[in-house]
Amino acid sequence: MEEFWLQPLYLLIPSLIFSLFLTWFIGLLPVFIIRYLISSRPLSKFWSIFFVSVFWFFNIVLFELLGSHSRGHPALLLVGLVSYYIYRTDKGPKIDTSCSFISMFLWLRYLHKKRIVFLSIAAVALSSALLMVVASLFGGFINAFEQSAVKTMGDIVLEPPIKFSKYEELIRRLEQRSIVQSASAKLSTEGLLHLGKGDVRGVEIWGVSNLDSRFSKAERVSGNEYPVPNERSAFGFVGIGVVAEPNENTDEYDFDAVREIIGQDAVLTTGAVVKGQDEDGTAEVRRKTIKFTIADVVFTGVYHLDKGLVYLPIEELQKILYPGQNEGVAGQIQIKLKDGTDSEAALAQVRGVWESFAAEQLGWEQYLISRTAIVTAKQMQSEYVAEFRKQMGILLLIFGVVSLSAVLLIFCIFYMIVETKQKDIAIIKSCGATNGSVALIFIGFGVCVGVIGSAAGMVLADIVTRNINVIEGWIRIIFGLKLWKSSVYMFSSIPNEVDWSSAMLIALSAIIAATVGSLIPAIIAVRTRPVNVLRYE
Amino acid sequence: MYKIILSFRYLFRRRVSYLAFLAVALCVFIVVVVMTIMTGLVRGFKDNNHKWTGDCVVGTESLVGFPYYEDFINRLDDSDFIEGVSPVVKSYALVRGRNSEESVGVEMMGIEPVEHSKVTGFGETLYYNKNDVPDAFKPAYDPNIPGFVVGIDKWLARDQRGRYNYEAGSVEAALVVSCFPLTSKGALAKAGTEMVNTKTFYFSDISRSGLAGVDSSFIYLPFEETQLLCGMAGAVKRISAIHIKFKPNVGLAEGCGKVAVMWKKFVEDKKGEKQAGLLNTVTVQSWKDYRRAFIAAMEKEQTMLAIMFALVGITTVFIVLVVFYMIVTHKSKDIGILKSIGVSRLDVVELFSCFAFLMGLLGSAAGALAGWLFLLKINRIEDFLFKHFGFQLWDRTMYAIGDIPNAIDLKVLTVIIVMAISACLVGAFIPSRRAAKLEIVETLQVSQL
Repeated sequence: MEEFWLQPLYLLIPSLIFSLFLTWFIGLLPVFIIRYLISSRPLSKFWSIFFVSVFWFFNIVLFELLGSHSRGHPALLLVGLVSYYIYRTDKGPKIDTSCSFISMFLWLRYLHKKRIVFLSIAAVALSSALLMVVASLFGGFINAFEQSAVKTMGDIVLEPPIKFSKYEELIRRLEQRSIVQSASAKLSTEGLLHLGKGDVRGVEIWGVSNLDSRFSKAERVSGNEYPVPNERSAFGFVGIGVVAEPNENTDEYDFDAVREIIGQDAVLTTGAVVKGQDEDGTAEVRRKTIKFTIADVVFTGVYHLDKGLVYLPIEELQKILYPGQNEGVAGQIQIKLKDGTDSEAALAQVRGVWESFAAEQLGWEQYLISRTAIVTAKQMQSEYVAEFRKQMGILLLIFGVVSLSAVLLIFCIFYMIVETKQKDIAIIKSCGATNGSVALIFIGFGVCVGVIGSAAGMVLADIVTRNINVIEGWIRIIFGLKLWKSSVYMFSSIPNEVDWSSAMLIALSAIIAATVGSLIPAIIAVRTRPVNVLRYE
Repeated sequence: MYKIILSFRYLFRRRVSYLAFLAVALCVFIVVVVMTIMTGLVRGFKDNNHKWTGDCVVGTESLVGFPYYEDFINRLDDSDFIEGVSPVVKSYALVRGRNSEESVGVEMMGIEPVEHSKVTGFGETLYYNKNDVPDAFKPAYDPNIPGFVVGIDKWLARDQRGRYNYEAGSVEAALVVSCFPLTSKGALAKAGTEMVNTKTFYFSDISRSGLAGVDSSFIYLPFEETQLLCGMAGAVKRISAIHIKFKPNVGLAEGCGKVAVMWKKFVEDKKGEKQAGLLNTVTVQSWKDYRRAFIAAMEKEQTMLAIMFALVGITTVFIVLVVFYMIVTHKSKDIGILKSIGVSRLDVVELFSCFAFLMGLLGSAAGALAGWLFLLKINRIEDFLFKHFGFQLWDRTMYAIGDIPNAIDLKVLTVIIVMAISACLVGAFIPSRRAAKLEIVETLQVSQL
């Protein structure tokens, strides 16, 4: 909720207007239908309270599903009070029940006879499906981006300005906390990986304390369960992109060829900064080599991890980089929290543990302790995520504006229907129908088109999004165009989960747009004079 | 003549025509704006890649490099289609500050600045030595010590308007660069020792190529020093790549083809040499192929955007269809009269096609004009939004984008207008066929009047 009010002004104002509109539109729509379309007179106290309670509960569930973070939903309480008044009052537009049946009859007739109406349904479906697909794919990408950070670094990352020792003690203290599921230490450096004659490539080396359990069975090309076969003293994992290139056309790795690499020996060369033996003890870089067996190849699906990382047990890397250091040295602690723990709230506890550890065990000064970055993995990505979300918003806005032409289309079609069905309207009016009833025929028809169109759009978007990887594959086969490459878009497959909250909002916007498109034709219909239309001349 | 008169009449007298006009104009406006920006970005990105690479690259991905390059450069110099040639050494290094014990990995590129600037746009990317490229690696405070040029994003931060504080970068900084030299067989040189090749370089300049990936990861060092650091300066010297620029009248494909033939012959001639095996890892690529992985991504995004616009544009076709359907329904008497005076079915179709063409042309002209006006002011609009609401189209601290590109590409504009007119013609086809099929006797009978 606080995030909502902390938005920049240019986002806050439209968000506020949209929220107000959404709350009152969703809240009062069923009330008006019950009070003025189904029942022609005020409801009794019992039924009024019953409906208010049912819809109040329903709306809370709906808004929670839509992502509302409001505490207590006071706006919905207000909507409930207004709803009660509407149920009980005898004021309001006069719509006779017979007319609602006529409306239904005419809607079905126009749908059946005026095939051109299907064009407006198709336009609404197409536009809303496109927006839903874009929102789902872009939203899916952003979620995958956030999740990849959590998967790689855990929920919370602790990184002091310099390397520190005794990390085992810090991990022990952290794991004693009820909120922490596990913690691991990381030490990293850059180096060259020598795989064979002339086969040398630059890599980033991660020494991690939880190599055995860091990757799931599915992420390990061998498919082996952990622990890793510890036949040799030094073993390590390599990212799949380090030892193989994906196929240029399919962007897929040859896993059979990759499996043959498992068990082979490799040499890592890196540099350790050591104090020189000259008088002033100037630091100098010494070459260090690590011979290890490739125990497994890792395929996380996140390109930059797979492309450039070699994983070693932290002790192995420490032996090379900090020889003579008896206690464990780490540069970063990655913390995984227990399910359901609020990572923002857990930060304070982690900071508390770190401060006492650094003061007691490391003897660090306060300024050094306070310069330690303790952030959630999501916070580390938040700038990028905010920018991605902005780009998504701009893209949706652009397509939304272009989709406005669907409103024009509905207007055209309804205008045509009103023009050609002047006699129908005149007859209805001559039978005593009020202006409100006549307007409702066309507005209701607009709502119908919006509902059917957006429902069809939802189905279409669902089919396209869920099968987007198959569709992309077919495009590659037919047109030879590989649209999605992990080297460009980070992930090896396109996120294919439908973002239902965005889809609901887009569907609602489509219904509103269709209703708006039918407004002017409805007004023209209302202004029809039976005497002009039905006279003999 | 009557076709044109009636087309204008329908367009201006029938208010419903305005809707179709509006829809076409709206679509063209959006597509012109978005595609202009996208095309500008892609073009700028390609230009920067071209400038950074030169026309053609003869090189290897292997860190071991390839030998005998001087002989091949001599052959290239002797040919009549080459304007410039620049040998380059590329590798990875660990760098740290002089008093620091923390080192980080970077990509380094050893170049001879004058030669490299003849082939690429390296000289133009420099900040302090733009007009004095030979001194690119000479620190201003002491020209006798070896200097380094650093990618701007590795050295300076961008503010929210995408500007760099160059003053913050002009310091007497030193970098200790350590490399792991490799032998021609790919093994580590000086095996059995802990020695690495280390040399200290001093800040001399900043390079801004406009390519985020390059500016945030590369440091440039003097060619010979880099060759020494990487262990490529032995008895048989090695390099990683030769960047080539063709003479202005030489086409890219033609030039690359000639270089490929020359390279093939060169490899044949060197077959018996000791390190000839390393030549087999070398490829000849045009700058487009060399940077394909980066360029293709942007080109694909442009294509995908165009496809999505085409999908949304279908709605415009529907609108035109409905509007024409209405006009045909209302103007059945006009059509009846026209047919009664001998106008053929084809003429009726032509009349409505002319009307559709006119609508497409005027609608797209209005949309294009509005788009052009919007694009003219787009940077000012963004400035205003940023000043008052903190909104930017792209966060300049993250994206290496300066002003929003706003130069309309006539080719793109022509394609958009042609597509808009085609959409109108497609939308008008079914109603005009219906109009052509109307029977005079039915439209002009007394009961219909």
